[in-house]
Amino acid sequence: MEEFVIATLRYGTPLVYVTLAGVLAQRAGVWNLGLEGLMIIGCCAAVLGLVQTGSLLFGLALAVALCVIASALLWFVIEKLRANPIIAGLGMTGLGLGGTDLAVQAIYGSQATVNAPYGLPRLGPAFGDFGVLSVLVAAMPFVVFAFWALLRRTRFGLQLAASGEHPFAARSVGVSPARMRLIALCLGGVLCALGGAELALGSLTIFAYGMTAGRGFMAFSAVIFGAGHPIASVAASLFFAIVGALGIRAQLVFGDRVPNDLLLALPYIATVIGIWISARLRGGAKAASAFGELRDY
Amino acid sequence: MKARLFAVARAIAFVILALALCGVIFEFAGYSAPEMFQSIADGAFLNPGAWQGSLRWALPLFITATGVIISFRSGYFNVGAQGQFYIGAVGTTFVVDFLNGYPAALVIPLCFIAGIAGGAIWALWPGLLRVRSGADEVITTLMGNFIAGLILIYVTGGILKDPSGTGQVMASRPVAPAYRISSESGLSPTIIGAAIVVGVVMWILVNRSAFGVLAGLAGRNPIMIVWQGARMSRLGLAGFMLGGGLAGLAGAMEVLGPNGRLVSGFLPTLGFTAILIALVAGLSISGAAIVSLFFGGLASASLYLPVLAGLPAAAIDIINAAIALFITARAAPGLGWLTARRRAVGGA
Repeated sequence: MEEFVIATLRYGTPLVYVTLAGVLAQRAGVWNLGLEGLMIIGCCAAVLGLVQTGSLLFGLALAVALCVIASALLWFVIEKLRANPIIAGLGMTGLGLGGTDLAVQAIYGSQATVNAPYGLPRLGPAFGDFGVLSVLVAAMPFVVFAFWALLRRTRFGLQLAASGEHPFAARSVGVSPARMRLIALCLGGVLCALGGAELALGSLTIFAYGMTAGRGFMAFSAVIFGAGHPIASVAASLFFAIVGALGIRAQLVFGDRVPNDLLLALPYIATVIGIWISARLRGGAKAASAFGELRDY
Repeated sequence: MKARLFAVARAIAFVILALALCGVIFEFAGYSAPEMFQSIADGAFLNPGAWQGSLRWALPLFITATGVIISFRSGYFNVGAQGQFYIGAVGTTFVVDFLNGYPAALVIPLCFIAGIAGGAIWALWPGLLRVRSGADEVITTLMGNFIAGLILIYVTGGILKDPSGTGQVMASRPVAPAYRISSESGLSPTIIGAAIVVGVVMWILVNRSAFGVLAGLAGRNPIMIVWQGARMSRLGLAGFMLGGGLAGLAGAMEVLGPNGRLVSGFLPTLGFTAILIALVAGLSISGAAIVSLFFGGLASASLYLPVLAGLPAAAIDIINAAIALFITARAAPGLGWLTARRRAVGGA
């Protein structure tokens, strides 16, 4: 049982941080499909920064800085150039995947995985079996609570929600929705950097190309599943983590009878089911997306 | 006409802006940007014989892109072309594997049908979830891509595995020479002919048929056409399945043509590039034919770069991604924020 909880926390913690980033963006009115790209930038920058300078702090700072810059770029494209957020987000994801690949090749001249000498600090033997988990796992409940309080119990949180739900109302009380979105996306960038760092340095201490494997999209789905509410979305992402951990567990138990590749697909299938349930509960997505904007004549 | 010229100029402007961003990234990574762009242009178009390579990649991209155009036009964000392409290729490989020994005139058409059916099925379930329950198709089709990738790994490592393979690359048994529709070069009368037929049929369907007009209206103003009595869900589902079927057809052609067998994780960026082609072309079929050549050139250059120029192929992924980032932008830079303060900002 403890093993299973540990596996869930390992799988789930990066997902939870990135889900919170998605919640911020969603409440501010941006569909952030760039989460996947931001997360892999976080993974790569944390590992490369650590390997190149030997300083974990520098790696984390680099991850945060690059994720915030990338988020600001995404904000500029969506808000100022009025690009379609879905396509721009997918572009940001591609930029993250390609950019991290290029960075690794530029520095090491090959596509091999990068091994970090050590990872994030662990909780240590005082926590018994849970000592193998990193400090970011332990910090996760507090971060979730802090963001719940920020979004649901402060003036800033209300202004953010107003910017997303009714920009005109936000403007009428002197809040700039564009600025609120910038703040939400940049704060989300910090969270994506932490999620990426936890994924790369929490238990593995490596960076490999495409290591996020759709976790950013899963986090985005958790936001939809949780209707943009911080606690509900985090719960949804933990549900996906439980399915992922079950898949890992099932590989150990039924490895010889059920093909591994199909067990690996479990979290993706759970995501589809989650989106389906949430659509049934809430009456579904908006009518066909307005596509006139993509066409010019 | 003027609006169309403006749209073309804007698309070109944003592609150039994207290339500029790529230049900054290349310099930041320690490569010389002019050298990189020169090598890409060499590999794509300037070297002798480069055009054949570009055309080889442009054809499957064009076929997949026409499918993306039809589903985008009917108002659904089917971003699952990659998964539909994979499942189409898997279906084709099953047929060619089980019918080994039958005459080619029977097997090849059946392979094409299996490819189209495979792609259409992989588009059907997200389509049904969308029109029946309103489950967001962006996420379901994206997840479908990941699941299809795992299915591809599963069949190439299991049921369809080539027993004589080295084990390093998971692949199916090679397609028998009798059923191949082209050599490694990927250019043969069958493939070029199929691409032309798809292009012409899709052009007629989009521009000269009731379905195309209705689908186009559905994408622009769904409420109006529901009031007019059209069935939105049926249109959307048809668009979904056509898009999936065309991606599956491209998968069938890759297996029977240049690839000659099913390889795990092959052409991992085809679906994304096809979406880009559809968007850069402004969802026009004739535009997609021209834009495909450009992206086919980039795809061809991504093979040329690491081998002959010693530069990483990831450069091409970055260029594609940067174009995706900017291509849907609708504001003229410099004018956007002059008027921004007056305009009530709509939901992003």
